[in-house]
Amino acid sequence: MSPAAAAAARAIAPKGNRAEDRSELFDEKFLKTLEHLHMVSRKVFAGNLRAERRTRKVGSGIEFADHRTYTRGDDFRYIDWNLYGRLDKLLLRLFEEEEDLHIYILVDVSDSMSIGSPLPKLHYAMQVGAALTYVGLANLDRVAIIPFGDRIMDRLPPSRGKNRIFRVFQFLRSCEIGGKTELADCMKDFVAQNKRRGLAVVISDFYDPKGFEQGINTLRYNKFEPFVLQVYDRREADPPLHGDLTLVDCETGDTREVTVSRALLESYKRAHEDYCKELEAYCTKYAMPFFRTHTAIPFDELVLKIFRSGGFLR
Amino acid sequence: MSLLGPIPFSIFVYFAAGAAVLAVGAYIIKMRRRRFEVPFSHLWKRVLEQKDANALWKQLKRMLSLLLILIILGLVLFAALDPTLGAIDRQARSVVILLDASASMKALDGNDGSDGNDANGKTRLAAAKEKAKQLIDSMGGGDVAMIMKVDGQATPMSRFSSDGPMLNKIVDGIEASDTPADLTRALGAAADALRDRKNPLIVLISDGAYPEQQLGLVTWDGKAPAGSAGAGSAGSGSAVKLAPKSPGGWNTKNLATVDLSGLDVRYLPVGKKSDNVGIVAFNVRRYIANKAAYEVYIEVQNFGTEPANRQLALYNGDTAVDINKIQLAPGQRIKKIYTKLPANADNRLRASLRPGEGAGASDAFALDDQAFALLPARKKQKVLLVTIDNLFLEGALLVYDNIDERKIPPAEYERNPAIADGFDVVIFDDYTPSMLPPPPASLLFFHPRGPDSPIAVTREIEAPHITEVDEAHPVMRWVSMSDVYMDRTLVFAPDARKGESTLAFAVRDPVVAAKRDGKRKIVAFGFSLPSTGRDSATDLPLRVAFPMLLVNTLDWFAGDQTDLLTTYSTGSRERVPLDGVVGATQADVKGPDGTVTQTPVIDGLATFYASRVGYYDVQAKGASGAAIAQIELAANLASPGESDIAPSSELVLGGKKLEAPEAFAITHSRKLWTYLILLAMALIAMEWITYHRRITV
Repeated sequence: MSPAAAAAARAIAPKGNRAEDRSELFDEKFLKTLEHLHMVSRKVFAGNLRAERRTRKVGSGIEFADHRTYTRGDDFRYIDWNLYGRLDKLLLRLFEEEEDLHIYILVDVSDSMSIGSPLPKLHYAMQVGAALTYVGLANLDRVAIIPFGDRIMDRLPPSRGKNRIFRVFQFLRSCEIGGKTELADCMKDFVAQNKRRGLAVVISDFYDPKGFEQGINTLRYNKFEPFVLQVYDRREADPPLHGDLTLVDCETGDTREVTVSRALLESYKRAHEDYCKELEAYCTKYAMPFFRTHTAIPFDELVLKIFRSGGFLR
Repeated sequence: MSLLGPIPFSIFVYFAAGAAVLAVGAYIIKMRRRRFEVPFSHLWKRVLEQKDANALWKQLKRMLSLLLILIILGLVLFAALDPTLGAIDRQARSVVILLDASASMKALDGNDGSDGNDANGKTRLAAAKEKAKQLIDSMGGGDVAMIMKVDGQATPMSRFSSDGPMLNKIVDGIEASDTPADLTRALGAAADALRDRKNPLIVLISDGAYPEQQLGLVTWDGKAPAGSAGAGSAGSGSAVKLAPKSPGGWNTKNLATVDLSGLDVRYLPVGKKSDNVGIVAFNVRRYIANKAAYEVYIEVQNFGTEPANRQLALYNGDTAVDINKIQLAPGQRIKKIYTKLPANADNRLRASLRPGEGAGASDAFALDDQAFALLPARKKQKVLLVTIDNLFLEGALLVYDNIDERKIPPAEYERNPAIADGFDVVIFDDYTPSMLPPPPASLLFFHPRGPDSPIAVTREIEAPHITEVDEAHPVMRWVSMSDVYMDRTLVFAPDARKGESTLAFAVRDPVVAAKRDGKRKIVAFGFSLPSTGRDSATDLPLRVAFPMLLVNTLDWFAGDQTDLLTTYSTGSRERVPLDGVVGATQADVKGPDGTVTQTPVIDGLATFYASRVGYYDVQAKGASGAAIAQIELAANLASPGESDIAPSSELVLGGKKLEAPEAFAITHSRKLWTYLILLAMALIAMEWITYHRRITV
């Protein structure tokens, strides 16, 4: 998108609704209500530090895992004396090691996310991302935030502990936004930069002319657990258009003259619905958690109800 | 079906083509679209690719929209042509209704007794209006009519129309004037209006009171009337299509003759009484020898069939001068001259006829029972003569009996110019004061010199000969100066823009000049009169012309005109001299009813047309719009032909008796424009709906 076209496209967007203005994004009072939530990971990943996640490692946790034959040098305290009494064999009790989880919040900050009413999609996506980050931090997981558009814009390195949340807010408020949506390239860069596998929450409208499949596949093939959250604006699904118009693509600046009739509008609505369903079917097919939400759904309702009922949080 | 629209078809075609080009152009012009930002145009592209499969149908739909607009345009334009189904067949007519609104139509005998009410009170014009409206109401759908008012002029009041209520409204608005009817002019205008129309018809609704002369100025076969030499011109005439065999065949009469060939002319009479006694002439003049007295001439005629008994009164202002009873036999005309009547301050004279007692007092026409005249204004002028004794001048002034004269030497005037206050005229003999008396005192100068001269002096010439005088000016009337001797004279440079004019020339040099300065008048002679101590010499004081000049000058200063101040007839256009006014371009004419109209003034003559009887006030205006002079005029009917109100149940026009109009054949026609406009509106609604539902885009 040329700078002039981008400027023109931005000029068309409602003035009081710019995605650039991110000062009022986060409500501290609301975030407190998220403290008791936990993010659910279906896979089990190896962690660095002890935390509240069960791992495949057997170690010094409190959850019983298995028995093994005693060898020299093992700690006597873990010998199961009851079994020795019954079987006359020295068996050692094994416990599950508890470690931290790597969570990557990938937020789409391309120009298409700047559209939306009454709230730009980007604001909505950032609020959801911040909430999930807070949940992760509160559970001593290591959470990283990666905004992306046509490239990885910036990166908040993995960190843990609730006290880091203000850094997260600061980062989200100040991170660079804009550009086209290049999902495939960005995911490719992401997996190259992050060797530690973990949960990859992708929050985007997935409006990529090249398609969403390649980007999501990149995560899957590199053993990340993708969590797909599609955000859209209801006016995108059912635009209030009528008459002779020049449509301007906010990312590419391409223009197209159309005469919007009722029939054409119906066709468009069907096409939009089909596109969303394609994404949903794809995620279902590969057993990836998928949520679709529009910006009119209150943010707290999405986090507190929908995510919990969908099994993403508990 | 026929087209009754007012626009010629060829022009209509151009108009329609232009409108069609505009409509198509509007479709070709690219529409300015609203811009709308979308996040993912890829989806729109996908949808539009599917839609583009139907591009041909889309084009066709757009063409359909254009076609619809062109059809709507065609319907509207077609409606403008006023298409009428079955309207114009052989019986549909184009009618000009000539409604007589002349003075005689004010006669109060409009009731024809058909309703059992034979009482007077309704004018002939009211009866004529009723007949006109009956005629309009009986018109068929294909008939069209034009209303034309006939009085001293022929005034079309409408265009050809079949709109009955509109025509009736126009008829209701017509009022009778105080002028005789000019039938020839009206017939000519009607014939012109009906030219090239099918089934032309002229219906004349009138009392038939026209002079025989007008009734003869008609031809029915397009040939000049025979034996027409010597006839007067009663009207301008217009529809002249005559072709005399030789050029010598043209004369005043056949040039004015109206060609009614191919026209059907019908007559609807109104009125039934002829009882009328009217004043047909009323004039007044002062005696030349004794301007303090005047004489009056009145002619009264009985136009009825019964002896009449009247009281004739003559008023000077509100003062009754003479009242006497007169008896008139049927058709009798009496002339009365009132001699040596003493004038008073009011110059308005009025003659009035009132019904006498007993039988013969009936009078259906009141307009000619009063007549108006103006007495030339007359008053004794106070004259101040500023001179060292001048026997010639003082002696000549002795012939003028209507002045109070006082003589003072120039030195006394020089000491006290205010001495001239209160004088009407100041005469400066061989003396030019530095301070002129204030207006409205009029001034007479002999040999004014230097820069104080009221009219600019350029030089002095010796032994001039008067070669030309302005005989039209009141000062130079009846004056001959062709062989007057003078040894020298000053030459003036009159400026017409200042109201100055030349009264006498020596070859090309103005030597006598006049000036109108607001209400004040000034006359200046370039030469000096002989007197003691003067070396200049002229023989003018020894000639008859000299006292005449003085009398004329003093009369002009007083506003007098010694000859007959004529009264004017209503309905005729006259050229009225404006008392020596120069430089005026237009005049305001204030009528008896207070209305003010403008009339042009050319060469000191104002065009005057009176449509009402009474007094008129004419005020001449200069190029700057300032009033220069004011005169008063009187207008009377003074038309024996119009006072002869005896109605004619039959009218013979050009030797042909005019029949009453037959009832119009009702043609069951149907106007289509309403339906066309309704259809166009329906199509506009359809286009609107299909456009906004994106069916035709």
